[in-house]
Amino acid sequence: MQYRHVQAIDGKGAVHGIALDGNGQLYAAGDSGIEVFDAAGRFNRRWPTSKPALAVAVASDGAVYAGEAGQIEIFDGTGKPIATWRDQKLLGRVTAIGFTGDSVLAGDAADRAIRRFDRSGKFLNNIGKDNPVNGLLIPNGVVDFGVDAQGIVYAANPGKHRVERYTPGGELLGHIGRFDGVDPAGFTGCCNPTNVAIRDGIYTTEKAGPRVKAYDFSGKLLAVIATDLFDANCKNMSIAVDARGRVYVVDTVKAAILIFERVNA
Amino acid sequence: MSEDLTRRTVLAALAGGAVFLVKKANGQIVWQVNAARCINSRLGDTGVEACNLCTTECVVALSAVRAVNEYSKCGRCNICPAYFNISSAVNELGQPGEKLCPRDAIARKPIGKVDPEDPANNFYEYIIDEEKCDGCGKCVLKCKEPLGLGSITLRVRYDRCVNCNRCSISRACPQNALMQLPIGQAL
Repeated sequence: MQYRHVQAIDGKGAVHGIALDGNGQLYAAGDSGIEVFDAAGRFNRRWPTSKPALAVAVASDGAVYAGEAGQIEIFDGTGKPIATWRDQKLLGRVTAIGFTGDSVLAGDAADRAIRRFDRSGKFLNNIGKDNPVNGLLIPNGVVDFGVDAQGIVYAANPGKHRVERYTPGGELLGHIGRFDGVDPAGFTGCCNPTNVAIRDGIYTTEKAGPRVKAYDFSGKLLAVIATDLFDANCKNMSIAVDARGRVYVVDTVKAAILIFERVNA
Repeated sequence: MSEDLTRRTVLAALAGGAVFLVKKANGQIVWQVNAARCINSRLGDTGVEACNLCTTECVVALSAVRAVNEYSKCGRCNICPAYFNISSAVNELGQPGEKLCPRDAIARKPIGKVDPEDPANNFYEYIIDEEKCDGCGKCVLKCKEPLGLGSITLRVRYDRCVNCNRCSISRACPQNALMQLPIGQAL
């Protein structure tokens, strides 16, 4: 499988996280708030967040969740505030948000865990914390995960060079990935993959040097999507995949979002 | 008037030199590596080779410069790019088969809660043996962000440095990374 670079979207500042909604609109979380781009990549709207937004996700009802330090802000699709969940202990530094069933998941990099809440913000359980021994090892400072159609959580565990599969209740089901500095099927460096997205397979980004890859759910490498298009100093490159299989990746140094599509898809 | 000024200037220069020599004699002015200038640790430079001028140019045998790991910044990684040669083939343990340090000056040991069944679950401490290290900078370069966390830097060790008036490393360093500082700022 091969991919080609088809488009780049320049953000207005630092981009920490991206997400797509059901209509193919792209949401970018940055220091000054949320920016929204239409399915063609044209800027549509923006609104401020009360703190730098480190992650963004869009629920099936269109509500937009922004992960920040110490809180999650929830907006409607126009940017009107709906609610704020504040919790310095459980939401120390929210670098990823997702949904499984009726639950909201938040990756808390401050405590190296994924928190599961109900839709009202009530805490339910941790995922990946101290499981099986030291939990998510993130020297890169970011917790990131994706969720498949069955609600299984795929968490990047970069210190172990793995993507781990968890039930929403926090049971570790298994993993894909291994260290390898030579074979591109493995993950190299001290701590990769840093970021993950789930669609028809497992999509990952790595740092030093920047690399984007696609795996099937068994862990077989399907494609090295991109390597040399990114600034070499990029790290923690957020990734999203749309329903057409187009892959969106943040260049964290250039503050741009690069889009790739399959060749002969 | 101009003669006075000239005399005053010369006297001031002599006084300044005397103050410098007194401070130096008291150990107050020392040479140190500026990590923000050193090519091995300076952020933003990627794809460069490790510079080993601190090893080759120092007048002290084995150099007065050492790699120092600041533990508060260290990620305690399972696969540390400063310890392993991460480009070498993987061995039966799933780790790089080769170490990076040519003098085998870094020791690795698991710390905290240890999983005996899966070494990847553990945190590791990396300890630099300063009797072996010669400040070649290879580990420093590999610890630099974004590959590492920048916890390892080069430092002049004052029990080894003879505090030359004109440090021979500073004369050779193209980055002008060796600088003189009051000892309180240099540590």
